[in-house]
Amino acid sequence: MITFDNVTKRYPGSHEALTGVSFSIERGDIAYVTGHSGAGKSTLLKLIATIERPTSGIVLINNQNVSKLKEATLPFMRRQFGMVFQDHKLLYDRNCYHNVALPLAINGITGHEAGKRIRAALDKVGLLGKEKAMPITLSGGEQQRLAIARAVVSRPAILIADEPTGNLDRNYAADIITLFKAFQQVGVTVIIATHDALGQANLENKVLHLNHGKLASLGLENAEATA
Amino acid sequence: MNNWFSQHMQTLELVLRRFKTNKLSTLLICLAIGVTLALPSLLYAVLDSANGLTNNVKSESKISIFLTLNHDDAAVDNITTALKNEAKINRFKFVSKDDALKNLQAVEANKDVLNSLQNNPLPDAFLIEPKQLDNDSIASLKSTLGKLDGVEEVIVDGAWLKRLNALLALGQKALTIVAGLLAFALVAVIGNTLHMQILTQQAEIELSYLIGATKSFIRRPFLYAGALYGLLGGLFALLITYAAILLFNQSLAPLAAEYQADFALHLPRFSVCFVICALALLLGIIAAYLAVSKSLSKSIG
Repeated sequence: MITFDNVTKRYPGSHEALTGVSFSIERGDIAYVTGHSGAGKSTLLKLIATIERPTSGIVLINNQNVSKLKEATLPFMRRQFGMVFQDHKLLYDRNCYHNVALPLAINGITGHEAGKRIRAALDKVGLLGKEKAMPITLSGGEQQRLAIARAVVSRPAILIADEPTGNLDRNYAADIITLFKAFQQVGVTVIIATHDALGQANLENKVLHLNHGKLASLGLENAEATA
Repeated sequence: MNNWFSQHMQTLELVLRRFKTNKLSTLLICLAIGVTLALPSLLYAVLDSANGLTNNVKSESKISIFLTLNHDDAAVDNITTALKNEAKINRFKFVSKDDALKNLQAVEANKDVLNSLQNNPLPDAFLIEPKQLDNDSIASLKSTLGKLDGVEEVIVDGAWLKRLNALLALGQKALTIVAGLLAFALVAVIGNTLHMQILTQQAEIELSYLIGATKSFIRRPFLYAGALYGLLGGLFALLITYAAILLFNQSLAPLAAEYQADFALHLPRFSVCFVICALALLLGIIAAYLAVSKSLSKSIG
C-alpha cells in the first residue's frame, strides 16, 4: 500500500530531514513511527500523505508514484488519508459538528448523508453528545478525539496521526491508541508517529524508528526491508 | 452536472451565511461600493438628461435671414419665392421690421430704450426652419441664402448649441475618467476586504488544503463573496442614484418652471441599471480573483 524506496527529503536551506529511507507498509497494518524530536517523523508522515514530495527516491502510494503525479491530482490523492495533526488544527470558529463536516464538504458530501456520517464519526470517538459544543470548551483529550472524528469521517483507507497522545495523560493516551486499533480492525491502515516509543508501540507491530533522519530499526514483521 | 450545481449552491450558502454573521461589515462594504458606483451613475444621469435636452432643442434650430435696410418690396417677394422653391427648407416665416419692433415693445423693460429711438433700426427678417440639421446641409443652405438679392446677413442659430455639445463631450470624457478611476478604487476596496477575510480564515484554508481540497474549492467562496459584494454594491448605487435624482428633481421643477422649460433629470433606464449591476459584479469577480490568487499563493503555494 505504501512503499518508500531510498527516499531523501531536504527542505530548501536546511539539512536533510530524511536520508535514504526505505520501507513498506501493507494494507491493514498498524505502524508506529518513533524517534526523538526532530528525527523526521513529521516529514515522513507528510511524505506519506503527499503533503510533501521527496527530494529524491520513490514514494509509492497505492502503486502510484507521488513524484510523477501532477500537482492538480495531489488534492484527490490526499483525500485517501485521514490526518490527525500534531496541533489538532481544529477550527475554533465553529462547533464540533461543523469541524467534522469539513472533509465531507471537500468531498462534495452534504445534507442528510453528511449528517449521518458526522454523527457516526462523533459516536465512534464518544463525542456524540457534544456536536453543538465549540472546540474551545472541550478538554485536551476531547479535542484530540474530535480531531480523530474529523480524520475518519470520510472513511479513509489510511489513517495518519502525528503525536496523537503527545500531551495526554497515560489513561487518555491508552484510550486513544485503543481507538486507533479499533479502526485497524475494520481494515484501515493506521500510521502513528510518537516520541514515546516504548510506551505504546510494542514489538508485535511494525515500528519505524528514526534517528536523525535515518531509519534505525524496523519491527519484526518487516525485517527484510532493513537490508 | 448535478454535483457541480450542488457544489456551487453549497458555496453560495456558505458565503451568505458568512455575510449574515458579519451583517454590519458586509453592509458597510456594500455601501462603500455603492457610493463609489453612484458617483459615475449620477454623472451619467445628468449627461444623459442634458443630451436629451439638446436633442429637443436641435429640432427648434433656426436660420435667420436679415435683409438690408434699404431693400425694395420686390426683393422680399423674390426671396419668398426662392424660399418656397428651396427643397431643404421645412417652414419659414417673414417678420417685417414693424412686427419686430412691436414684439420688442411688448416687453415692458424695453419700452424706455425703444422710445428714445427716432426711427426703427430693425431690419426685415425671415425665420427659417431647415429640414436637415447636420452641419454640411446647414452650411450649404447658408451659402445659398447669402447669395440672394437684398440679404444682408444669414445667421445660423446654433452656435450655442455647438458649445453645449462640446461641453457635453467634455462631460462624457470626465465621466469616463471618473468611472475608470473609481473602478480601480472598487477593485482595491473589494480586493482588500477579501484579503482580510482570507487572513482571518487562514487556519481553515491551510487545513482544507492539507486534507485534499482543490485550489478551486478554496478559491470559490471568495470569488462568490467578491461577486456578491459587487452586485449588492451595484444595487446600493442604484438606490443612491434614484434617491439623489428624485431629490434633485424636486428642486429642479420650480427652477425649470421659471424658465418655462420642461427639464428634469430622468431616472436611469432598465438597461442602464442592468449594465451598472453587471459591471459591478464583474469588477467584484476581477477584484476577488486578483486578491485570492495573491493571498492564497502565500498560504497554499
